[in-house]
Amino acid sequence: MMATWVSATPWEWLAAIGPMHGWAVATAAVVSACCAMVGTVLVVRRLSLLGDAISHAVLPGIVVAVLLGGRPGDLGVLVGATAAALLTVALTEFFHKQAGLPEDAGVGVAFTTLFALGVLLVTVSGSRIDLDPGCILYGILELVPFDTVEVAGWEMPRAFVSAVVVFLVVGSGLWLTWRWQVFTAFDTEAARAAGVPTVAVTVGLLAGVSLATVAGFEAVGAILVVAMLVVPAAAAELLVKRLHHCLLLAVGLAVMGAAAGYLLAWKLNTSAAGMMAVVLGGEYLLAVLVAPQQGVLARGMSSVLYAWRVQCEDRLAAAWRAEEAGQSAPLPASLVAAAAWWWLRVQGRVEPAQSGARLTSQGRRDAELIVRSHRLWEAWLGRHAELPVDHLHPPAEWIEHHLGTRLRQRIEADLGRDVRDPHGSTIPPERG
Amino acid sequence: MMPLPGVLGALLPYNTLVVACGVAAVGCAAGVVGTLGVLRRRALVADAAAHATLVGVALALLVTGQRSLAVLLAGGLGSAILALGLLVLIRAVTRTRDDAATAIVLSVSFGLGIVLISGMVARGVPGSGGLERFLLGHAAALTAADAMLLGTVSVLVILAVAIGLKEATMVAFDPAFAAAAGWPAAMIDLVLVALVAVMVVVGLPAAGAVLVTALVVIPPVVARQWTDRLVPMLVLAGGVGLASGVIGVAVSSASPRLPTGPVVVLVAAGCFAVSLVVAPRRGLLARWRAGHRRGRTDYLLMTEDHR
Repeated sequence: MMATWVSATPWEWLAAIGPMHGWAVATAAVVSACCAMVGTVLVVRRLSLLGDAISHAVLPGIVVAVLLGGRPGDLGVLVGATAAALLTVALTEFFHKQAGLPEDAGVGVAFTTLFALGVLLVTVSGSRIDLDPGCILYGILELVPFDTVEVAGWEMPRAFVSAVVVFLVVGSGLWLTWRWQVFTAFDTEAARAAGVPTVAVTVGLLAGVSLATVAGFEAVGAILVVAMLVVPAAAAELLVKRLHHCLLLAVGLAVMGAAAGYLLAWKLNTSAAGMMAVVLGGEYLLAVLVAPQQGVLARGMSSVLYAWRVQCEDRLAAAWRAEEAGQSAPLPASLVAAAAWWWLRVQGRVEPAQSGARLTSQGRRDAELIVRSHRLWEAWLGRHAELPVDHLHPPAEWIEHHLGTRLRQRIEADLGRDVRDPHGSTIPPERG
Repeated sequence: MMPLPGVLGALLPYNTLVVACGVAAVGCAAGVVGTLGVLRRRALVADAAAHATLVGVALALLVTGQRSLAVLLAGGLGSAILALGLLVLIRAVTRTRDDAATAIVLSVSFGLGIVLISGMVARGVPGSGGLERFLLGHAAALTAADAMLLGTVSVLVILAVAIGLKEATMVAFDPAFAAAAGWPAAMIDLVLVALVAVMVVVGLPAAGAVLVTALVVIPPVVARQWTDRLVPMLVLAGGVGLASGVIGVAVSSASPRLPTGPVVVLVAAGCFAVSLVVAPRRGLLARWRAGHRRGRTDYLLMTEDHR
């Protein structure tokens, strides 16, 4: 079974999953695209936890709207939930500014209270509304295709239609206010001074978050909406620098995560929403590993390369010093040193001779530069830093790998010609 | 504690009394530990740990095949601590900001928990049917032995706080000074976080993974409205937690439909709403009367000014 699954082409896949799953995947994709769009701005503005709070707190809004006769996916429910979300934000702000609570505690109080209220309303009203606690927490994406409406002669899932509407509204809102959003996100004070209506921009953003949350709520439930809001945006932020690139990448990651999560969950017979969050988490982990410059792999790689260069240069300098003293090059003392020695031979910097090995002319020139850097630095430190002679070697041992031609020339100019290092050795001249 | 069961015993049936004792003990200890947690601004870290417990609970059932509360909670504690470690790791290795890191750990670990639980239910793993109770709590199902376990852990946690009160105060208010004065500040901080994780896990049967944060956050915030001193705040928070537990269980036992966890949380929230308005000095009425309606009192004068 595994084999056929892997060997199938995407088209066979689509044919195999059928229109029902197709609708569910499409709904999940549109919903997560919505969430990723607003999530990008939310993450950059350090409001991720407000997203968490909003996603919990929309519950009582939805329940009240449903109790008043709305149906999940209707406009009235959207309005009710958005109102509840804005109420949460207002409450959090109020607790923080007026009652002096720390921000995190304020958020904690506001959303747990509203969520508890929502759960209570759901359980008390019981059979009068068709929401159950499981649906609240992790959605019922699998049932989305069965609740349909007719749009222009096509029968579509209600949740899909409302997700597309929310996508268009939120997307165009972000498109129109993008410059303001960016300005406010990076420097609110400057934006306000420049005449940007920052309060309106923030309220608009939060309204967008609420809309996206409500659209996602039905499909993936309260807590996994948080994953869609924050995780793709945080991953994209690690990978690219410009905010609009970040947004596009986050949307891409979210759509991929939604589709892959759904199909995986279908294959493994488990919760689709949960699997989407797990896939998104995997994407974030991947971003942490492979991010350029800041990524774990990139940083590990560059430090390994650096250690390797230092090792090779140390071998070369050791061989040069041995030659200076009239001895043969010292044998490599460790495995890494032996590997570095082998690499120097491959590069043609050392060559085999009757007693061990000796430097080639290329190798000698390179080694001279390193020893020259080392001894110049020792001489300079000895003159200017008032360090005892036996303390000069360690800093020079480090800096010899970093000095360039121009710095060496300036040090030499400062020291004057024909100077020796503090141990009495001659400093090799610069040879191009 | 002694008179409490006596008084309540007259009012409540035996089963409800057992549940009330367990939940009250948990509420009390959660309030005490939460006070230190909230002062250290760890409210939402507790939330991340709470959501991560599901993974451990599910894995514990899958691996041991036992459904005893102690085993499941031990699993939950393991995964909660793992999640806190992950949080520290993300902070150290990436440039993702703290709030986003918390949200990531919270939502992804919760997703994994849901995947495990629904996968186990779909495969008919024995005992997996009731695991969903850990989402929103199901205090009514507590047995006397369970309540005993929760009570014992809660008492131990309160004792731990009482023994290390001086150290905890120091680190809660001024970690930099504590470290400079030669205290093992990082270690004490770690123990504090571990205690918060323990309370989050022990609170699971009462309030569930989604709402247990409220037990750790709301009572301390209520207590803060009434006092500026740490020891009264600890006692008051413990009292509020205990009272919300008892009242919540009693109210929810009135109707089989009322879920215990949300009711307990709402009782605590009710205490908060009252305190917010009528507390002396910090309450809205007092502020309004004092005439500086816009005046903002720093929640933690010490840490604000000395950072």
